[in-house]
Amino acid sequence: MATGSEKPGNVSGPTLSRRQFVKTGGALVVGFSLVGPRFLKGDTGKPATFKNSLDPTLSSSWVEIHPDNTILIRTGKSDFGQGTTFTAYRQIVADELSVPFEAITTVVAGDTDRTPDGSGAFDFLGRGTPNIRKAAAYTYQAVLDLASEKLGVPKDKLSVKDGIVSGGGKSISYGDLVKNQQLKLTIPVKGDLTSIFGLTIEGNPPMKPVSEYTVIGKSFKNSIIGSKVAAKETWATDVRLPGILHARVVHPKTLGSTLVSAGKVDKTKFPNSQVIVKGNLVGVVAPTEWEAIQAAEQVSGATKWTEWKGLPGNAKLYQHLREEADWTTAPVSKGDANQGDAGPALASAHKKLSATYQLSYMKHAPIGPTMAVADVKPDGTVHIYTHNQNPQALRGEIAMMLGTTPDHVIVHAYPGPGHYGRSNGGNAGAEDEAVILSQAVGKPVRVQWMRVDDMQWSTQSSAAFSDVQLALDEKGKMAAYQIDHYMPAMQDDRPIGAVIAGLPTMPAPQVQSDSVTSTVNGIEDPWVYAQVPNLIERGHGTFQVGQKASPLAVGLRDHSMRTPGQFQQNYPRELAMSEAAALAGADAIQFRIDHAAEERAIGMLQAVRDASAWDTRPSPRPDAASVGSTPVRGRGVSLMLRSGTYWACVCQIAVTPGTGVIVVEKYTIAVDPGIVVNPMQLKRNVEGGALMGIGHALFEEVTFDESGITTEDWISYPIPTMADIPEIKVVLLNNPKVGAYGGGSEAANALAAPAIAAALHDATGKVMRRLPMKPAYVQALLKT
Amino acid sequence: MVTLNVNGVRREVQAPDDTPLLYVLRNDLQLIGPQFGCGLAQCGACAVLVEGKEVRSCVTPVASVAGQEITTLEGLPARWAKQKGLSADEAKSTLHPVQQAWIEEQTPQCGFCQNGMMIKATELLESNPSPTLAQIKEAFTTSGVSPNLCRCGTYVAIIDAVKHAATIMAKGR
Repeated sequence: MATGSEKPGNVSGPTLSRRQFVKTGGALVVGFSLVGPRFLKGDTGKPATFKNSLDPTLSSSWVEIHPDNTILIRTGKSDFGQGTTFTAYRQIVADELSVPFEAITTVVAGDTDRTPDGSGAFDFLGRGTPNIRKAAAYTYQAVLDLASEKLGVPKDKLSVKDGIVSGGGKSISYGDLVKNQQLKLTIPVKGDLTSIFGLTIEGNPPMKPVSEYTVIGKSFKNSIIGSKVAAKETWATDVRLPGILHARVVHPKTLGSTLVSAGKVDKTKFPNSQVIVKGNLVGVVAPTEWEAIQAAEQVSGATKWTEWKGLPGNAKLYQHLREEADWTTAPVSKGDANQGDAGPALASAHKKLSATYQLSYMKHAPIGPTMAVADVKPDGTVHIYTHNQNPQALRGEIAMMLGTTPDHVIVHAYPGPGHYGRSNGGNAGAEDEAVILSQAVGKPVRVQWMRVDDMQWSTQSSAAFSDVQLALDEKGKMAAYQIDHYMPAMQDDRPIGAVIAGLPTMPAPQVQSDSVTSTVNGIEDPWVYAQVPNLIERGHGTFQVGQKASPLAVGLRDHSMRTPGQFQQNYPRELAMSEAAALAGADAIQFRIDHAAEERAIGMLQAVRDASAWDTRPSPRPDAASVGSTPVRGRGVSLMLRSGTYWACVCQIAVTPGTGVIVVEKYTIAVDPGIVVNPMQLKRNVEGGALMGIGHALFEEVTFDESGITTEDWISYPIPTMADIPEIKVVLLNNPKVGAYGGGSEAANALAAPAIAAALHDATGKVMRRLPMKPAYVQALLKT
Repeated sequence: MVTLNVNGVRREVQAPDDTPLLYVLRNDLQLIGPQFGCGLAQCGACAVLVEGKEVRSCVTPVASVAGQEITTLEGLPARWAKQKGLSADEAKSTLHPVQQAWIEEQTPQCGFCQNGMMIKATELLESNPSPTLAQIKEAFTTSGVSPNLCRCGTYVAIIDAVKHAATIMAKGR
């Protein structure tokens, strides 16, 4: 982190010395500058951007200071309820600019023609330096340069408080500094606007020292909550355009069926409905929503598809992954922390554990099914109105589908139901279908998926299994740890409607691809037990299940979901650590502390130990029982490092052996993100993730047969209800000496599963090494 | 033609009798508080009050509620103003205590389910001004045709907000 001690002109890159700033004339300020054709013709030093985009190299595309002292910020990040863009981003900019939180009156987010940077709705704080922070830091230096010139006072003699620059007995407000000026401040930017990671602001502008923060650390409210709660917010679901038609899509009968013949609309019942067929995509459009729903149902019944069976069925999933999937095509990943020589240590172990851990497919399961409005204009310009985690990437995907360039596609971002990573690579599901149908009818079209479409035609969080071997020495210390993670490709960013329609898309996940859509299974779970002398972590990847066999090239499509990849790796690791502690006759928290080296990791373990009133002893508890109709109680712990944040949790459960029902009674979670930007928002994010994690641990499993997904609604895919929630305690550790702010949302969802599984072992003496821990599975385990 | 009484206003709509109330509210009357979550009465995102009872508008034929008193999220402030006899001026600037509490407790994550949660909370607090934790959990899980579901896991924040709303309502404004 920059300390502010570096010399101006040196730190800010070549475009921001005072002299050059004055020479180029600077626009900190007014209006926003659309990129014109001149820019497109190319200055190779600038990043690729498009017509209908903001110029990301202009600071005013990110931060505008207005003559009335108000400030506007823009970000390509779409808020999905984290609130970061409306709270933390404003706080960060306020501190970098030395203005009050309230001075930042406007946040423009997501729209591809009104925001500069793109990227997905994840990692908002960018390990402490999100783009918006750097943009503010550059802007601050430029404001100081301006003030220095205006006041005739050297820059290093100036100070700023509440947007007033003072020095040499004189002062001036930001608003007065920028009044009546058209200034242009250029900043260095790199990256690919329509990729999953978007653009990154480069360079190292001086940043506000942590000790001088006055806005960061306070619990400001999220401004969008008020308008949502009062029904004053326009959601994507609310967008209506003149002449709009409602549509429903008749998806194929199976994940590999091709169209034999599309049904015809019964015009006596649905006189205004129309069937659109593109490849294997069948859509029904009508002027009213109810007619579209009913007509689509009638057309669906009359549509004929080929049969297909190419999936193993969920009962045989692990057998398929273990015995039939090809793990040889993708190179094996190796963990960065691998050290020593595990082989001899395992061979000469005093005590040894060999175990396999399994996770099911899970759904993102947004509470509202995906939907989008598309308006394909006669000149070929496409407008999409949607709730999307990466509008710029969606823009690229739709352009590819239509054989055009992204400058013809504008994505308008609105609030919508959270979908937890599903569209961070660009599409959530309905956007491409809306475009195809709008193009066909020449009118705006609103595609709304029904609940069953969302359960069966969206992507899922990938299933996985891991093989663990670990060795303990005579003293009960871990002498070696070896884990092999197996997971099919976890991110398929192809728009499904385009795939079904046979239109151009990026390829299905393959070995040679970018980092997220490759079949390579990287090590995602940072190792935190540095005192283990011999360590091997390996990742093995393969293709998505059924995709190659499907005539549609569909199969079980996967997509990153909160804590992607890391959930699949942390669950086996942490449950194995608890088992190792039990094998050593040691307490599960103390055993972790004894093998960890990082102070922050140990701090989190101590924090949950204290906050949960943990009784230090080995597991299982002395009176553990695996039979009977009386609930038995147990507790377990888990630990994770993600995006610069350390997390630990303790779950205290009651399980009734006779029924296999687990109730989580108390859940204690501790978080050290470094600097806590907004305690209230962080607490709400942590609580939400923690409760979602209880669902992942106990209920959530995508069921499928040989043809397709059989999960179809909230009965067949239960998620936690209010009755399932424990007494929850959140411990936030503000740790300013870290000097940065880590991620604070996802990760919470991943902690519960290994802690609950360890608690089950503590209570019953039996270990369940698969997720979810549904009552029937627990009951079966306890009978063995 | 169906005649509805929505948020204290008589509204006539041209829609087939079997049209689910949700689509009439959203598409014909531009009342966008209720959201489409499942169309199966399994989640509660579409909830409205009909004669003070929480009803799932996604499966309620519009003709079946003709003439009955329907309140959507948009109508909660006026409902509270009427119950408390607030002046028109006061009413304009007042949110329902449930809405106030949802803001003060910062309850939403994505917020898509919160329409139904606030409708359910209003139903609960109108009949039970100071519910216990067990009664709150019962209201949101077993009192209706299905539990009110939140995927973001805001249940703790909802409980905090229901309790807070009860306090505001006890004070009378």
